Amino acid sequence: MKHIKTLNTRNLCESAKKGGCGECQTSCQSACKTSCGIANQQCENKKQESAK
Amino acid sequence: MIHRYHLDDWYIVIDTCSGSVHVVDEIAYEIIGCYEEKSREEILREMSARFQEDPAEIAECYDQVTELKEQGTLFSPDVFEPMAGELKQKTAGVVKALCLHVAHTCNLNCAYCFASQGKYHGERAVMSFEVGKQALDFLVAHSGTRRNLEVDFFGGEPLMNFDVVKQLVAYARSIEKEKGKNFRFTLTTNGMLIDDDVIDFANREMSNVVLSLDGRKEIHDRCRVDYAGNGSWERIVPKFQQLVKAREGKNYYMRGTFTHANPDFLEDIRTMLDLGFTELSMEPVVCAENDPAALTQEDLPVVLKQYEDLARLMLARKKEGRPFTFYHYMLDLSGGPCIYKRISGCGSGTEYMAVTPWGDLYPCHQFVGEEAFRLGDVWQGVTNEKVQQEFAACNVYAREECRDCWAKLYCSGGCAANAYHATGSVRGVYKYGCELFRKRMECAIMLQAALQEEDA
Repeated sequence: MKHIKTLNTRNLCESAKKGGCGECQTSCQSACKTSCGIANQQCENKKQESAK
Repeated sequence: MIHRYHLDDWYIVIDTCSGSVHVVDEIAYEIIGCYEEKSREEILREMSARFQEDPAEIAECYDQVTELKEQGTLFSPDVFEPMAGELKQKTAGVVKALCLHVAHTCNLNCAYCFASQGKYHGERAVMSFEVGKQALDFLVAHSGTRRNLEVDFFGGEPLMNFDVVKQLVAYARSIEKEKGKNFRFTLTTNGMLIDDDVIDFANREMSNVVLSLDGRKEIHDRCRVDYAGNGSWERIVPKFQQLVKAREGKNYYMRGTFTHANPDFLEDIRTMLDLGFTELSMEPVVCAENDPAALTQEDLPVVLKQYEDLARLMLARKKEGRPFTFYHYMLDLSGGPCIYKRISGCGSGTEYMAVTPWGDLYPCHQFVGEEAFRLGDVWQGVTNEKVQQEFAACNVYAREECRDCWAKLYCSGGCAANAYHATGSVRGVYKYGCELFRKRMECAIMLQAALQEEDA
């Protein structure tokens, strides 16, 4: 019996190798302006990959 | 580091450093809870006594946990700290976003305004085209190889200087091709001056529009009043509806603020939905602790419950085919930010700066008016390197309080302005905000679990 289901997530360790292009949105430019949310930002590279 | 929580029917385990999220059953939940403290035998004995389950099944569950650990998706060690400075250094000296304060004045007199009615504790002023143009040139000149540049027209109320906004957009469009850049503009407005011209322009040029509405009429009009003391709700709502309709799916956010007067802010979200808006953001007020609008400890459980109920409402509406978006719950677990972004945070003072009507640079819009944080100006660039260094050194590992927090790679150590206002240091921690943030992340991840299950 399967007791654990792992959701599809980005592997953060892997992203350390290629990450950091910096093209992503600055978090405060979107809608909050008064707090720091990072996790809800999109990766610009991933966005392009999925658009292909 | 892991974090386990139970919400509605969901048992969820987050592995902080790998970013993995596991949806587990109750037995696995309990095994994971004591996995690192006890031996296999002890755990199997305890679980067999606790659950009416075949011991072989419990052993299998234990072994599945071990397998995840071996795969590096559970109890994964924090390997990022040594590279934190280096990762943030990758973008040193690059500016990619500006918040242009085109108007330090406002046609509303909102009681809770962090910008002191748009004046930021200074004189009323509007930005000239020359200052704005120099700001755009400064941005292009300091953006390195970065192609996407963001500019937010902010205030005060930016539409009080709409002609300059239009001129600046035209100027940016005239240079972006030759400079190899792509400008993404945002307009943040209280709605009072929206007309057909603004709507056409915003829908043509703005990647995103942020519209300020607090929800219920009585809540909105309590704070968001004009200088005669009249509420603005009835005047702005039809304009927002017209703008959103004309936007035809382009990005916008209906952004509200909740205060001590409405910790039950889910009611305000329901009002926004009833008005036909579906892209929503609701933020806790930012103000001094002794301000009557400030959220209190008594408000906290009410607010936390709103976040849970909001997630439930989102799921229910999705099932009914009437989905809506809540800004903080927009987690994309597989396409979200890389570790660099998660460590570096919002980039205030380095990648992101605010520009006053006079061309002064500040680390972000929330520091404008704090003279000690003035970084320089759009002609000379950053001259106050000491302050910039302070912001450059802000990463998730720079805050001792964040070290043992499971959510640190979701918030990157939090907002420097919130930290400064709460503790006097940009490297402090605004604990009340952390409580809200952690709850939001728990709810957002639970939502993802439910949505992935639906899709399966």
